[in-house]
Amino acid sequence: MNFMIVRRAAVYLSLSIATFISIFPFYWMVVGATNESRDIVTGKSTIGTNLVANFQNLLAQVDLAQVFWNSAVVAIAATVLTLAVSSLAGYGFEIFRSRVRERIFQILLLLLSIPFAALMVPLFVMISRAHLSNTFTAVILPTVASIFIIFYFRQATKAFPGELRDAARVDGLKEWQIFLYVYLPSMRSTYAAATIIVFMTSWNNYLWPLIVLQTEDKKTITLVISSLTSAYTPDFGVILLSTVLATLPTLIIFFVLQRQFVQGMLGSVK
Amino acid sequence: MSGLKLRGVRKSFGSVEVIRGIDLDIEPNEFVVFVGPSGCGKSTLLRMIAGLEGITEGELDIGGTRMNDVDPSKRGIAMVFQTYALYPHMSVRQNMGFALKFAGVAKDEIDRQVDEAARILELAPLMHRRPGELSGGQRQRVAIGRAIVRHPEVFLFDEPLSNLDAELRVHMRIEIARLHKELATTIIYVTHDQVEAMTLADKIVVMRDGSVAQVGSPLTLYDDPDNLFVAGFIGSPKMNFLKGVVAESGADVRLPEYGDQIIPLHDSVARPAAGTDVTVGIRPEQFEPDGRTKLDLKIEMIEHLGGETYVYASHNDGEVITVAARDARAVKPGQNFVARFNPTSVLLFGTDGNRIR
Ligand SMILES: Nc1ncnc2c1ncn2[C@@H]1O[C@H](COP(=O)(O)OP(=O)(O)OP(=O)(O)O)[C@@H](O)[C@H]1O
Ligand SMILES: [Mg+2]
Repeated sequence: MNFMIVRRAAVYLSLSIATFISIFPFYWMVVGATNESRDIVTGKSTIGTNLVANFQNLLAQVDLAQVFWNSAVVAIAATVLTLAVSSLAGYGFEIFRSRVRERIFQILLLLLSIPFAALMVPLFVMISRAHLSNTFTAVILPTVASIFIIFYFRQATKAFPGELRDAARVDGLKEWQIFLYVYLPSMRSTYAAATIIVFMTSWNNYLWPLIVLQTEDKKTITLVISSLTSAYTPDFGVILLSTVLATLPTLIIFFVLQRQFVQGMLGSVK
Repeated sequence: MSGLKLRGVRKSFGSVEVIRGIDLDIEPNEFVVFVGPSGCGKSTLLRMIAGLEGITEGELDIGGTRMNDVDPSKRGIAMVFQTYALYPHMSVRQNMGFALKFAGVAKDEIDRQVDEAARILELAPLMHRRPGELSGGQRQRVAIGRAIVRHPEVFLFDEPLSNLDAELRVHMRIEIARLHKELATTIIYVTHDQVEAMTLADKIVVMRDGSVAQVGSPLTLYDDPDNLFVAGFIGSPKMNFLKGVVAESGADVRLPEYGDQIIPLHDSVARPAAGTDVTVGIRPEQFEPDGRTKLDLKIEMIEHLGGETYVYASHNDGEVITVAARDARAVKPGQNFVARFNPTSVLLFGTDGNRIR
């Protein structure tokens, strides 16, 4: 009996700590956006009155609309293209038999272990040779065939009933029509989960855009935040406000797709 | 309603041959049932007819046209799957009209056809629901409705009732029989279930290891099986098989494991040479109180089904024999039991498993 209570207490305690650890930075960020840089540095952690001033300062330093637009174009295009290409690949890997498919798949999984830092330079050389440097295409293209998303879709496709394909074939659908009109709509939650993952990754991507985007008018939000932090006297209120703004889109997408996201991660085909 | 012709049809997956040369004729409007043990190739053969599996060798002819390489949607078939395979993201109405939509049929015409099928299957109140919101029986009816809407020449069913509970299964079985009358089409139906096979079929195809063991009407297979396999497969409880030897006279079969009981051979049966080993087949329900031949047995177990009683009994702890007995409510395990039958009702099989006629 006593043991049970102790156990419970331990569970609650550890959950509380975990919650605090995950929530606090978020809280700190939001509160910081309303405070002056001076107060933030001294550790003030209550809501302040400097939000409007921070906003004006931010607008004075960056073309916020342009930056958001850049990030949005990159993230949305990357999401649409990655889902289209990688889901098709994952579906194909699972559905179509071939003697070499497992071999190819293993090679893909191996490639996953190569760190991006090792690919960066050759990738940049390729992009410049193709005269794509300082374009959004350059940011998006290398992410489109995502091994992780291919893997994710292949796993999810295992739950897609073969008889559904058969029924569609008897109903007169061609292979691409089966994918488009039967597979895609019945795997909505898988797509929702993948959308969140890809959108977030792309929106938060920093290193690669930093390498290929050179001019101010092309820069994405992560690059801008980073340049704010490297100012001679960084204004932490402005930085935290821009961070809050940068977090909003992914937050919105997450809440809109939350239910499907959970279902998709659990791998359910309805 | 088309007939079908299969000639020397074979199928291999890699180096494994699963369909080993099937010849079969199916008449227009016939209700044909494929039965056989698990893994014998029933589904594979059905899928080959549907065009979902390729045909490695042989000819498939539906309604007088060679169909080996024709697309599934152009064979004039419709298929009902074991898992129903309804499109999860579409309403019942959309599910049923999907094939017509793809065939470019006008919207009014699709609606008319779908409503007609819904009427036949009493689906009207469910038309707006998604498959996820239907019971198993309702899903099955939608799957059948989706097939009906295509006006196929041949319906293919792969164990359509195996996911339903016992009561619903009986209900749907009757429903399918009614549909066959109403639609007047050819039906090919795969099942494990003997009762479904016996009650629905005009013609049963018993399959074994990718070949046809026997084709015939339900009663032909029951009364007059060609081989041990069919004799054992059709009928429930199973036919009893007793070891026998043709006696010196050549006119009797001796049962060495049953105190050398003698069964006189029927005049119409071919006479194997004296000393030949044979298998004597007798169905549980062919034992009768005033039969001329008797087996002295000891009861091991009894199953009372109410109307009938199954007595499981053996001679000297040998093989257990099943006897269907009426008026046997009083018998108890451990008692002696005399099972009587008429020698004319037994079937004889040779050592190769084929009937001796
Ligand atoms: N795609 C495939 N690749 C390899 N072997 C297969 C394939 N499909 C079926 N088989 C094999 O073919 C044989 C026949 O399978 P099939 O599904 O036709 O049996 P069935 O008679 O329908 O059995 P059940 O009554 O269990 O449904 C089995 O041994 C099976 O393992
Ligand atoms: Mg099967």
